[in-house]
Amino acid sequence: MALNKERLKSLYRDMYLIRNFEELIKEYAANGTIPGFVHLSTGQEACEAGVVRALRTTDYKYPDHRGHGAILLCGTDPKYVMAEIFGRATGINGGRGGSMHVHDWSCHNHGFNGIQGSTCVTALGTAFAAKYRHTDDVSAIFMGDGTLGEGTCHESMNMAATWKLPVIYCLINNGYAISTPSKEAHPQEELRQWADGYGVPSWRIDGNDIEAVVEITEEAVNLARKGKGPSLIEFVTYRWQGHFAGDPASYRPAEELEYWKKRDPLILSKKVLIEREGVTQEEISAIENEVDNELQACLKFTLDSPWPVACDALTHVYEEFSVEARQ
Amino acid sequence: MSRVITYAKAINEAMIQEMERDENVFILGEDVAKMGGDFGLTQGIYPRWPDRIFDTALSESAIVGLANGAAIAGLRPIAEIMFADFAGVAFDQIVNSTAKMNFMFQEEANCPVVIRAPQGAGIRCAYHHSAVVESWFLNTPGLVIVSPASPYEAKGLLISAIRSDDPVLFLEHKVLLNAKGEVPQESYALPLGKGVIERDGKDVTIVALQLTVKMALEAAKELEKEGIAAEIINLRTIKPYDEELIAKSVAKTSRLVIAQEGPKVGGWAAEISAMVSEKYFEYLEAPIQRVTCLDVPVSFSPVLEDYYMLNAADIVAAAKEAVSF
Ligand SMILES: Cc1ncc(C[n+]2csc(CCOP(=O)(O)OP(=O)(O)O)c2C)c(N)n1
Ligand SMILES: [Mg+2]
Repeated sequence: MALNKERLKSLYRDMYLIRNFEELIKEYAANGTIPGFVHLSTGQEACEAGVVRALRTTDYKYPDHRGHGAILLCGTDPKYVMAEIFGRATGINGGRGGSMHVHDWSCHNHGFNGIQGSTCVTALGTAFAAKYRHTDDVSAIFMGDGTLGEGTCHESMNMAATWKLPVIYCLINNGYAISTPSKEAHPQEELRQWADGYGVPSWRIDGNDIEAVVEITEEAVNLARKGKGPSLIEFVTYRWQGHFAGDPASYRPAEELEYWKKRDPLILSKKVLIEREGVTQEEISAIENEVDNELQACLKFTLDSPWPVACDALTHVYEEFSVEARQ
Repeated sequence: MSRVITYAKAINEAMIQEMERDENVFILGEDVAKMGGDFGLTQGIYPRWPDRIFDTALSESAIVGLANGAAIAGLRPIAEIMFADFAGVAFDQIVNSTAKMNFMFQEEANCPVVIRAPQGAGIRCAYHHSAVVESWFLNTPGLVIVSPASPYEAKGLLISAIRSDDPVLFLEHKVLLNAKGEVPQESYALPLGKGVIERDGKDVTIVALQLTVKMALEAAKELEKEGIAAEIINLRTIKPYDEELIAKSVAKTSRLVIAQEGPKVGGWAAEISAMVSEKYFEYLEAPIQRVTCLDVPVSFSPVLEDYYMLNAADIVAAAKEAVSF
């Protein structure tokens, strides 16, 4: 299905934002400004953008550890996302979470849970609550091919299918879990087949084709909103970076990366914009410039932001009790 | 022959030497084989024994479950959990199976499993990659819990853990992986359940484990400047812990400080403290001091994580308080 020109332009903007936001993250992780580890979604932007744009603000969203992209689009101002990843006081979670834990419940972004598979069962609860309250909000989970090994994923699908809960399993198959190829960890030819055993509808699609991502996600969302229960979409894609920024990724052949770089989701959608929709290069450059400026403003905001105050570590542990401070 | 190697290398060497000695020893875990482990602890094993080290799916429950079953069937599994925090996923297997197999089967079968997992805060990875987990498992009879503080201990204790017929939770500290120290090349076993005196002193006993051993030694240097001689106990094994060593030291010093990484409430320091006040109350001339982290999840931002963590200065302050009581 072809998306209209304006929608496609807007999705291109989203993907360009994700790509270049993460370029900055990569740079500042490499020079030591960002503490800890970051996982980049570079190469997978179409999955991140397409899924989130097929949802609405009230839908429950569960980005995974490679989820900067989805998080940027859930509704939080990107500058608060960036400040969080840098561990600054102005971050959306005050610096307590960092790259792996960017949560913003005001837009129903659950954020990632560092324990793989965990969100699969949490999402049962938000899906249940929506059903219980007769709203038609859906719960969409991003999960990697590797994560499918966790028992929680299987418990989740079994229960969601039995109770017809509005859950959408967005399975990002980028071929690897850290160094382990997907085919060495799972018996299925196509991971999509996992859903068959539970009678759950599924699709396997090109995760670098933004139009396909949006189209199929909307179809799954529709089913869930109508009370038809869960479904699964396997997005076939590739992460350009290693597992974390700085991982040399010596476990995979160089040709593989070359192949996937030719299938860059940004280049593919730019081509459609120009060749099919007649968008000019100037229009595209205007979009890109606007995003570049926005990102420079985010970066300035972040770098000018203070570190948290140490005793902030004590806040929010309980609602009704306080925690003893350092003596 | 002894030479200087890292804590990570010492762990690697222990596994290799035990695999050479006993063909029933095998390893499984996420990314342990071809990549040699997320922290590189299983480097060089797959090329040598491709049939004895296995990359698994992300399935901690199955990793430990498989190890349990293989162990009662006569093998000696080493199960790696990539970060100790993920042991939560395998919690049922560990507390209800691993720990209870010996009890279930009496002499007919035993469960010589080693579950290895890097733990601890200090690497800016926030609340799902920073836990120390001794205290999660302390209340589980049947488990041995080991937390080595140096490369020398890491090798000798891991070798004992692999040879032991009891299941051992072997917790490595992420911050110590690159720490260097003298380690004999040849295989050697250090006793499980035994601590060591790292430094003699007569004024106050400081009980430490793993990361806090170094902090306690630093604190002792500071205390020395003020004329306080601290005795440092490195427990090495936290379950079962070396009660005799602690009691002897407290009999001498009459003052006890316990330095524990991890939240205070319900931590292992509480157990040591309770044991000493229950059994050796008459030795004490001051209240027991626990120096621990705060009762909060570990935050990401360095300022917040450092505030959570204990340090040598905290130990100095507690020791002074104990001595001046
Ligand atoms: C319970 C648990 N086990 C292991 C890990 C460590 N870990 C984090 S990401 C990852 C690989 C995930 O692979 P996949 O699901 O395919 O996602 P990708 O990294 O490819 O995006 C692993 C093993 C974890 N965070 N939680
Ligand atoms: Mg993957």
